[in-house]
Formats: sequence, structure tokens, C-alpha cells
Amino acid sequence: MTMDKELLAMLVCPLCQGKLKYDRDRGELKCHFDGLAFPIRDGIPVMLEEEARVMDVDEKLGKTPGAPEHE
Amino acid sequence: MDKRTTTHFGYQEVPIEEKASRVADVFHSVAARYDVMNDLMSFGIHRLWKRLTLERAGVRPGHHVLDIAGGTGDLTLQFARRVGPRGRVVLADINESMLRVGRDKLLDHGVGGNVEYVQANAECLPFPDNHFDCITIAFGLRNVTEKDAALRSMARVLKPGGRLLVLEFSKPTHALLSKAYDEYSFRLLPKMGELVAGDADSYRYLAESIRMHPDQETLKAMMEGAGLARVEYTNLTGGIVALHRGIKL
Repeated sequence: MTMDKELLAMLVCPLCQGKLKYDRDRGELKCHFDGLAFPIRDGIPVMLEEEARVMDVDEKLGKTPGAPEHE
Repeated sequence: MDKRTTTHFGYQEVPIEEKASRVADVFHSVAARYDVMNDLMSFGIHRLWKRLTLERAGVRPGHHVLDIAGGTGDLTLQFARRVGPRGRVVLADINESMLRVGRDKLLDHGVGGNVEYVQANAECLPFPDNHFDCITIAFGLRNVTEKDAALRSMARVLKPGGRLLVLEFSKPTHALLSKAYDEYSFRLLPKMGELVAGDADSYRYLAESIRMHPDQETLKAMMEGAGLARVEYTNLTGGIVALHRGIKL
């Protein structure tokens, strides 16, 4: 499922209001500051803290090899 | 922040962290029959309440509109027509079931390119500061756990000059109407809920949550406390419902 570019540009982290990075491969919107990855389900971004995946330290610091990220 | 540990869920006291999931269960349960129940319960009058909200919103072509707790999309549908192709409407709801019913309905109505769907909590909206020309929350604020936080969050994402409209059940202004309304809500509503949506408890919650919701003046003060100016309200159907409007200066 692709994400609408305009919606992507409009969304920020619900906790810190910081910029999000779109991880196309995992279908997530990531806030590296809070270390949270918000899922996109059926094309709908789920911007709820309790539904977000908590990143580990390496991923949070952007050190995870593999999956490249897209703006 | 206050140090409350419980909050109301209808007439019950529940731990603060439990309210959201209790409300979620209500709406997962009623999502599919939500529209037909609204028509039945209000004798179709909810359409008039929403039409007035639409008029007071003053939305024009090119505007960015946020419909919070927009559920099955009644307001979003009308906003999408008004903002036109250069405008944008975001339908946000904390409940996945309601959002899906809303998206399907809007697609059936041929609404497409200018509407976005986001699952979000009104208390911490995932949008930048000063972004929307207009925000509406219709029959949604009642179900939010931290109403002050939600109002502050809405004020934050409004543009200066932008309008917040809150359409919500309120307090009937006449004692006689109030009495008839109580009879109706506590005796008939749960029965209708059971017959049509197969769920009496959710509609008992509806009636109770309406009684627990702040009245007209209290909500007005809460909106002012959240930083909105020129807050005014209009009683509809004898105060059974009130439409509050505030402006971000």
C-alpha cells in the first residue's frame, strides 16, 4: 500500500511534533527522537503511541543495516 | 496536570488508562449500524445539527479542514465538496472500525483525492502547529478521556484566525423537556440499541455519557482555557445539543 505524499508531508510525531521518516519497506512512519515506529494499516497511518513499535537503540540512532529509509 | 486516577465511563468510575479502550469497544460494536442508529435515535434531526455546523464552519475552496472523531464521515463528505480540489479534508478518528466504515462510505459517494484518513488521538494530534483553517469535532469530545488536553491540541494545530466547532450533546434548557428526554434516553434508547444494533450496553453508555458531559457554560470556559477566543454557543433542539465555536487569535 502506498502512502499519499501530501498526507506524509502533513503528519508529525503525536508526542514531540517532530518530523517523521517514512520507511516504505516496513510500512511505518518513524520518529527517531521518541524511538517509535507508527504502523500504516491498509493505507491509514495509525498515529497512536500504544499501537507504535518501540525501536531498539541502534535503530533509533539510525544504525540498523539493511532496510534503507525514504523521506 | 491533575492527579486523578479514575474517570467516568458513563456513570461508572474506571481507571483513567481504561477509558479509551472501553470507548473503543463501544464503537467497534456499533460502527456498522452507526448511521442508521443516528437517524433512528434523533428522528433524523442529527442531519440538521450537522448542517448548521457546516454553515457556521465557513469553509471555502482551498481550505484545510480537520474533522476529528469524524467517524462515518457525514461532515467530511460535505467539507470535501466545499474545499474543492485545491483544499484538503483530514478525517481523523481514534477508532479503526469507524474510520473504515467512513472511508467506504465516502468512496461510495465518489469522494476521493482531497480527503485523507488518519487514526489519531484528539489529545495529541499528529499535525504541525498552525495548520488547519477549520476543525470540527461532532459528538466526539464526550468520549475523549482528557478533554482539556484535546482542546489544547486542537487549538495548537489551528491556524491563527481558524475556527474550532464543537457539536455535542448538552443540557436541555427546560425542565419539562429534560424530563421527557431522560425518559426517552434511559428507557427507549437501550431498547432501540438492542433491537437495531444488537447492543443495549453501548446505547446505555451513550445516555449516561451525555449526562456526564460538561454543560454549555462549562464547555465554553474550557475552550477559553485552551486558548480559544470569542467562544460562543448555540443551543439546538432545546439544548439537547449545543454547537460551540471558538477562534484562534
